[in-house]
Amino acid sequence: MATAYSSAELLDQIEALSGQAVSDCYQCGCCTSGCPIGEAMDPPPSKAIRLLQLGRAADLLDSDGIWMCASCMVCGTRCPRGVDYARIAEACRALILRSKLSRVDPDTVAAPELEEIPQQAFIAAFRKSSV
Amino acid sequence: MTKYVYYPGCTLYTKARSLDQCARKAAEKVGFELTEMPSWNCCGAIYNATNDDLAAQVGSVRNLAKASQIGNKLVTLCAACHNVLKRVQNRLDAPGNEVQSERLKTFVDEEFVQPVRVLHYLEVLKQDIGFEAIKSKVVKPLAKLKVASYYGCLMVRPREVLEFDDPENPRVMDDLMRVLGAEPTRFDFKAECCGGYLVVNRRDVAKGASQKILDNAKEWGAEAIVTTCPLCQYNLDKLRATTDGCLPVFYFTQLLGVAVGLGQGELGLDHNSGDPVGFLKSKGLL
Repeated sequence: MATAYSSAELLDQIEALSGQAVSDCYQCGCCTSGCPIGEAMDPPPSKAIRLLQLGRAADLLDSDGIWMCASCMVCGTRCPRGVDYARIAEACRALILRSKLSRVDPDTVAAPELEEIPQQAFIAAFRKSSV
Repeated sequence: MTKYVYYPGCTLYTKARSLDQCARKAAEKVGFELTEMPSWNCCGAIYNATNDDLAAQVGSVRNLAKASQIGNKLVTLCAACHNVLKRVQNRLDAPGNEVQSERLKTFVDEEFVQPVRVLHYLEVLKQDIGFEAIKSKVVKPLAKLKVASYYGCLMVRPREVLEFDDPENPRVMDDLMRVLGAEPTRFDFKAECCGGYLVVNRRDVAKGASQKILDNAKEWGAEAIVTTCPLCQYNLDKLRATTDGCLPVFYFTQLLGVAVGLGQGELGLDHNSGDPVGFLKSKGLL
């Protein structure tokens, strides 16, 4: 992601937006093992948090994984350290969206899908992934 | 008959009509009435979990304010609306959040007359009506139908806000199904995510997540699945490759409707894939 911020500044922003402290995570992996989307998510929650701990916030913002989180909140519910990765992913997406880069373009959703998918899904997808 | 202020939400007016229609009619059969809240608006569809995005909360704040002008309870049915309204309500009331809360309330320019409790239809059935009372209204017991109750994410998480049920092993719908004469099955994936809105741009991922849920229900011997979320219902029902010989995915209100004696035309069965009418007939339920 093209950004004027250093990784340290990005981490500050992610922690402020999400209300989560990445240093609380001790890498047990409970979040990743329970994630229903984990096999399609790169990096999965625990690795994503590890990237942040290692000062690599920019790499996380460049990843596909933050867009794969469906906000199901299993990870945060089970985390023994009270870290809510769904909120961290939300903060990462928000940082990117606020720099005006949509992930899902409403104009490209195919017509047959418009007919049948419940509108709640569209609004949710655009809220999470579009400017 | 007790009247409740009811928030249907957008999807229940269009693509999930059968969830709404059965609920309204079944309510009258079991002894309460849903009065639709006047001039409601979209709840926002999904909760925004960033700390500073107030605009995303405004829709729900207005609904809560309008509801407070009529009563102190607001009944929901769609799992997504329920989750969003409940979390926004929680955010408004959170200690230490007074400044944001005041800003939001000022923005919507609607008076908050009294605290409003957001209640899901299932909570009304369990807490206010009582499952024993519902049992006495059953005219067509569900013939020991083996039902897997699917809760998904939005009804149970985050636990401390939803305060609905055990987030790892919720049981409210299972208990309701038992009261209606069905046999709830064990179901390991009852609170796993179906993939949710990823269906919009990553249909493959949602399909994979949904298929695991269906497979697990089948492994435990389920003959049908019930849910209260339009998006879960869609993902489970429509993303599978074929519906031949597959489990029907009902709204819980459809089976509630069957049990309390709604007619076939009132169940909205044209919504479900496969042959739900044939299935219910084969069980002697229609």
